[in-house]
Amino acid sequence: MKNTTLAFLFVSPALLFLLAVLGWPLVQAVILSFQDVGVIGSQGHYVGLANYAAILGGAGFWRALGRSVVWVLGNAVVQTALALATALILNQKFPGVRIARTWVILSWIVPTVVVVIIWRWLLSSSGGMINPLLIQAGVIERPVGFFATRESAMTTLILINSWRWFPFTALMMLAGLTRIPSDLYEAARIDGAGTFQRFKRITWPLLQPTLLVLGVVGTLLSFNVFDVIWLLTAGGPAGATQTLPVLIYETAFKGYRLSEAATVSVLTSILLMGFAFLATRAMTAQEAAR
Amino acid sequence: MKRSFGQSLSLYGGLLLIALLIVLPFWWVISGSIKLPREIIQRVPTMIPESFTLQHFEKLLQASDFPVYLINSIIVASFSMAFTVLLALPAAYAFFRMEFPGRNALYRTILLAYAFPGVVVLIPLYGLFAKVGLIDSPVALVIVNVAFALPFSIWMMRSFLATIPREIEEAAVVDGAPTTTILVRILMPLIAPGIASVAIFAFISSWTEYLFASVLIVSDARRTIPVGFAGIIGQYQIDWGLLLAGATAAIIPVVILFALVGRWFVSGLTDGAVK
Repeated sequence: MKNTTLAFLFVSPALLFLLAVLGWPLVQAVILSFQDVGVIGSQGHYVGLANYAAILGGAGFWRALGRSVVWVLGNAVVQTALALATALILNQKFPGVRIARTWVILSWIVPTVVVVIIWRWLLSSSGGMINPLLIQAGVIERPVGFFATRESAMTTLILINSWRWFPFTALMMLAGLTRIPSDLYEAARIDGAGTFQRFKRITWPLLQPTLLVLGVVGTLLSFNVFDVIWLLTAGGPAGATQTLPVLIYETAFKGYRLSEAATVSVLTSILLMGFAFLATRAMTAQEAAR
Repeated sequence: MKRSFGQSLSLYGGLLLIALLIVLPFWWVISGSIKLPREIIQRVPTMIPESFTLQHFEKLLQASDFPVYLINSIIVASFSMAFTVLLALPAAYAFFRMEFPGRNALYRTILLAYAFPGVVVLIPLYGLFAKVGLIDSPVALVIVNVAFALPFSIWMMRSFLATIPREIEEAAVVDGAPTTTILVRILMPLIAPGIASVAIFAFISSWTEYLFASVLIVSDARRTIPVGFAGIIGQYQIDWGLLLAGATAAIIPVVILFALVGRWFVSGLTDGAVK
């Protein structure tokens, strides 16, 4: 009995804090989405579902959603490939493995703005590093503007964000790999299974639960990425990299249409919560089937 | 177990590729920060600097607001770190070491908050902070940073708490020690690596936070590195030397911190990911 009281005493500061800083504003966002507030601090009136009708009826929201889907899928593919290769290597024994496991995450611990400077500089079309190297190698004749066209801007952003995040994903995968009992590999080796066979029959299937969890968490995390996109392209060129978080930010703090931005953010939350709900249900179902 | 030649080749080849992929961009930026301007924009880039100058760092420290941003960032990150640890520690202990009704439901709700899009609460939070006069105050940034670091921090404590045998607490209970004593005297030293992990995570999240800092801070003198720096990038004529020096200077504090407690953080990350 005394223990229960104590437990609540321990949990409640964190819980109340989260409720006040994340929960309460969420309620406010919903209220805001039913009003017509423009500039921050101005008075709004109740307008019912007008904002929702306008946004769901317009093209801007759907285009941004499409870009967000491309963004999430692109990041998932690139990061999973890079992270899996990295995790498989870091799971081996070699001199300096501890150092490698610690410092692999370097690109994740530096501020985003540093990542932005690094890649703006390396990819710069006047000077830089990548352009001169590509010219030297004979791949291109004159410097390329990596953020200049719609397709290349999105691709470049996905690669940069993946560069930042793949080490984090790799360490999560490594955790899954270390859980696979080594006697399984030993037995397979005795049975004469080659490296590829062992990967296909043991590593890959046993890594599925980890990949599933990472797929869900990674989707939510990359969906929310804002600063890399904003600082490198500000959603451009011509809106080609304007994902939903960028759209919300622009509408609220550049366009001063607060209620509209709140409406988009409420719709976004519904989408993400729906996704998280379905994904966790799928995971529980998978666990139950095992 | 012996590796075949082919296996060794792919292992060390892969290792080299990863090292290049991660280290090379950093090397180019850090080495660029000590090059003379004409070498920085040279047609054919140099791998190893041919010139040496500290002029970019001098300019960064004397002619730009970087030192101000640096101090602001250190203050905000340190307070965010302290409050995250203070809130996460007891909560994690209750979640993973105690029984109480609604525990699982509450834990899941907190995890959900981890993946929550910051931009969704940014708009209403701006309004709330404006009402209580916290716009342009570092306090607002600390509040936000703690809120976003908390869920992951609580989750990360799980693996560290799990390594401590329950017998230790039980023995202390039998001896009649009060719960607070158990927590502070007996458990605290044992979960020190966990505390270090949570601390470094909170510090780094705060150190890199851009979105809220860009909206909640208005005056230049209160800006943190990410936002202050972004302002320098946006200027008409890009001074690459200054930016490269600034990037280098912004990397150093986290690298030092990581060199001290990084391995605890990584083990918290990899062991905690189990379930």
